[in-house]
Amino acid sequence: MYVIIVYDVNVKRVNKVKAYLRKHLLWVQNSVFEGEITKSQLERIKKDLSTICNESEDSVIIYSFRTKKAMKKEVLGIEKSSISEII
Amino acid sequence: MTRKNYYILTDGILKRKENTLYFINKDGKRPLPIHSIYSIYAYSSLSISSQVVNLLSKEGIPIHFFNRYGFYSGSFYPRETLLSGDLVIKQAKHFIDNEKRLKLASDFVKGAIFNMKRVLSYYGLDNNMDTLLEDLKSCKKITEIMNVEGRARADYYKLLDEILPEGFRIGERTRRPPENMANALLSFGNSLLYSTIISEIYNTQLNPTISYLHEPFERRYSLALDISELFKPIIVDRLILYLIKKNMIDETDFEKDLNYSLLNENGKRKFVTEYDKRLKKTIKHRKIGRKVSYKRLIRLECYKLIKHLLGKEKYKPFISWW
Repeated sequence: MYVIIVYDVNVKRVNKVKAYLRKHLLWVQNSVFEGEITKSQLERIKKDLSTICNESEDSVIIYSFRTKKAMKKEVLGIEKSSISEII
Repeated sequence: MTRKNYYILTDGILKRKENTLYFINKDGKRPLPIHSIYSIYAYSSLSISSQVVNLLSKEGIPIHFFNRYGFYSGSFYPRETLLSGDLVIKQAKHFIDNEKRLKLASDFVKGAIFNMKRVLSYYGLDNNMDTLLEDLKSCKKITEIMNVEGRARADYYKLLDEILPEGFRIGERTRRPPENMANALLSFGNSLLYSTIISEIYNTQLNPTISYLHEPFERRYSLALDISELFKPIIVDRLILYLIKKNMIDETDFEKDLNYSLLNENGKRKFVTEYDKRLKKTIKHRKIGRKVSYKRLIRLECYKLIKHLLGKEKYKPFISWW
């Protein structure tokens, strides 16, 4: 499945969340990650994020698609990071 | 298959930071999500620290290194986590018992010839592959099998030359160094496939050093060579024909100074991009009844081999049915 995760968390935890998500997904913009993962990986991410975040202060939104083909992506202005696997 | 292959074609450093990997080069830093890496193909000069090796080992990610000519030079094969002593013993037993070894060796060649035939008939070329298959049945020695395989491949390249444009004819198959553009593409593609198969074997309990068709020499993963025979025609050769026929690759993608015997960076990039696409391409599997990617097909081949070795199901080589 393909997911987009956006988060708005207290500044104390921004780096923690970013460092964690970097292990699984690709960074696209400040507070936005996306990438192809499995269902079990998503469950794991959810569980780990809930231990990092404070539920009364932070907010994390997960958009998920069956495949990458189910969504369309357009970029206006600069593309902040490339997500190709050929470097 | 959500873990992806990463191909590194530009020079740089691979670093471990925050428990994930960073690729750093003159253009900046790029994080690579560790949990989304299946294996890494390093074509450039890459600096790696031991911390990276530790992390890759923990996650079970192999890195394949290629020298500056694009030839396979080795892999970092992480600590094996899928071990089975029982299977290793059975693998060895099938090697020692001549009859059992012959069966497997001829199966690999049979599959290879069938797949070559598929490629030829796709391009509407008449061939005598069937007589070679007949010859295969009477083989009593490994060397005889190798001989049939060699003849099949020579005929096959000769036939392919008929449909290739002037500059891209194979002629004689030459290696170390390849002497023309078509040979350069074949060498590059074969070593890429070889390392893909090593990655797949890593993810099974098979021991990569015990092989049947090729002699298991020391210091190389010869089982990957055996399996690659089956997949060369349908993955590498089809890809090369596709690139040439669609005019996607031309003289400018090769090193002119080296008599066009080597792909340059741009050429490598094109080849690798298309190769990766091909590995991800899916076909409907007849037996399983669902879609599987070409990469998965290689793994399934390993599983079939395991079943044969354990005496559960007779091995039938992979033959493309499309």
